[in-house]
Amino acid sequence: MLQLDHIDAGYGPVQVLGSVSLAAQEGSITVIVGPNGAGKSTILKVITGLVRPTGGHVVFQERDITALPAHDRPALGIASCPEGRRLFPLLTAETNLRLGAYTPRGRNAADATMEYVYRLFPRLRERAGVKAGRLSGGEQQMVGIGRALMAKPSILILDEPSLGLAPKLVSEIFAKIQELRKGGLTVLMVEQNAYAALRIADFGYVMQNGQVVRSGPTKDLLDLEALRRDYFATG
Amino acid sequence: MADLGLVAADLVVGLMLGCVFAVIAHGLNVIWGVTKVVNVAHGEFIMLGAYGAYYLNLYLGFNPLLSVPVDAAIGIGVGFLFYFGLLHRELRGKETITRESEMVTLVATFGLSLILSNVALAIFKGDAVGIRWAPETLALGPVGVPLGGLYVAISSVAIIAISDLFLSRTYLGNAIRAYSQDIGAAQLMGINPTRIAAIATAIGFGLTMAGGALLTVWLPVGITPLIGSTYAPISFVIVVLGGPGKMWGSLLGGLTLGILIDVLPAFGISTSIAVAVAFLILIPVLLFAREGILR
Repeated sequence: MLQLDHIDAGYGPVQVLGSVSLAAQEGSITVIVGPNGAGKSTILKVITGLVRPTGGHVVFQERDITALPAHDRPALGIASCPEGRRLFPLLTAETNLRLGAYTPRGRNAADATMEYVYRLFPRLRERAGVKAGRLSGGEQQMVGIGRALMAKPSILILDEPSLGLAPKLVSEIFAKIQELRKGGLTVLMVEQNAYAALRIADFGYVMQNGQVVRSGPTKDLLDLEALRRDYFATG
Repeated sequence: MADLGLVAADLVVGLMLGCVFAVIAHGLNVIWGVTKVVNVAHGEFIMLGAYGAYYLNLYLGFNPLLSVPVDAAIGIGVGFLFYFGLLHRELRGKETITRESEMVTLVATFGLSLILSNVALAIFKGDAVGIRWAPETLALGPVGVPLGGLYVAISSVAIIAISDLFLSRTYLGNAIRAYSQDIGAAQLMGINPTRIAAIATAIGFGLTMAGGALLTVWLPVGITPLIGSTYAPISFVIVVLGGPGKMWGSLLGGLTLGILIDVLPAFGISTSIAVAVAFLILIPVLLFAREGILR
């Protein structure tokens, strides 16, 4: 459904990604793990369009979207909860969700999707009128994921959905992600919490220093010894 | 001791004038709050709005209220030109508006301000003109309320209410607010940043020029090419007082300034000192409530 083909990218003179190729299969959960600074979030920014790659191609549903502006991508079915969630802090939780449905694709079904999001995260219904900046970390994460779902995406991009959450909440969020996959959604996420993420995913990529060092079905990646080597080895 | 009847009359005038101030400041506020562009040429567009109303009155017999939608429409057109002519090159593709961009647009609008005020001096000359539109005066006990000012005040509040409804209840309005808080995240929602910045600039200019038309009711013989230099600083004070980006802050700030400027003279303080006092309020506001007096 989504392929990155030999992507080079960076910020100004700093090269972050070197020839990264990866794919997300329709109806599966794909996870990218790796230590801090490995370039995981940059990959997601290339997919959502906030970072323009200097080389390589991004192909979504057989269409080359490498040069497509970020704001034209949600209409194709790419929605994300970015690094740091980036909610609109002065707008209410509900308005944040509504904005997720800004494109015609989302707007036509906004009321029904909103109901779906509230059933997925009942807590948000109670907090609908609260400004996003005043929500707790867990609630903000729910709004971030909910806001992405409001776009009626065919692929959901999540950057560190467990970041800053209590362990109980982490397993709750991961359970919700599995629930979404069961509903037919494709998920691509980046996680620091490698072990927990690999357990719910179908396919995984391990990154280091801007490159994919290992990939495969998650059951093959769950070898803890090898993971530890990937995280700490220097070469 | 000040005459209570006089104070009451000044209070009423101050409130009505404050409503007009609010619309003018609202125009500045929308542009500043959304695009982070401080429009130094703001005063010149108030002036153009006032002249617009004057000529519509002179040639077509429009009263200032009828000129408001015409001026607003012209302002919207001018706003699009202003955005694509002056701002787009600097703001295009930026996920955050840096200090450097703010300086560039500041200097660009300052230049525009100089050009406009001098061209206006050349075309309109320095003589003051005005619109004679004087509906009756309503007697409220000892206080006479000029109905022209009252209609203008009501229109002003209506304009602010409509823009607030637009910004909080429509997809486009919420997209504008989203853009003002996080341009990159807005793009992730499918919001086209250029479109939003251009529309917000256009709305800001529409409000500013409409405000210029509304102001003429208080300038029966006082429209000159230089009125911008009186009302632009007042607008800046109001926006800082109410908090940039806060829509009802414009109204609260406008009323505060209107009352100060009109009521203090009733206590024997000269108008220029009253204006100075209004500016002095900024110091404690900036020291203790940097986000404005509205929470």
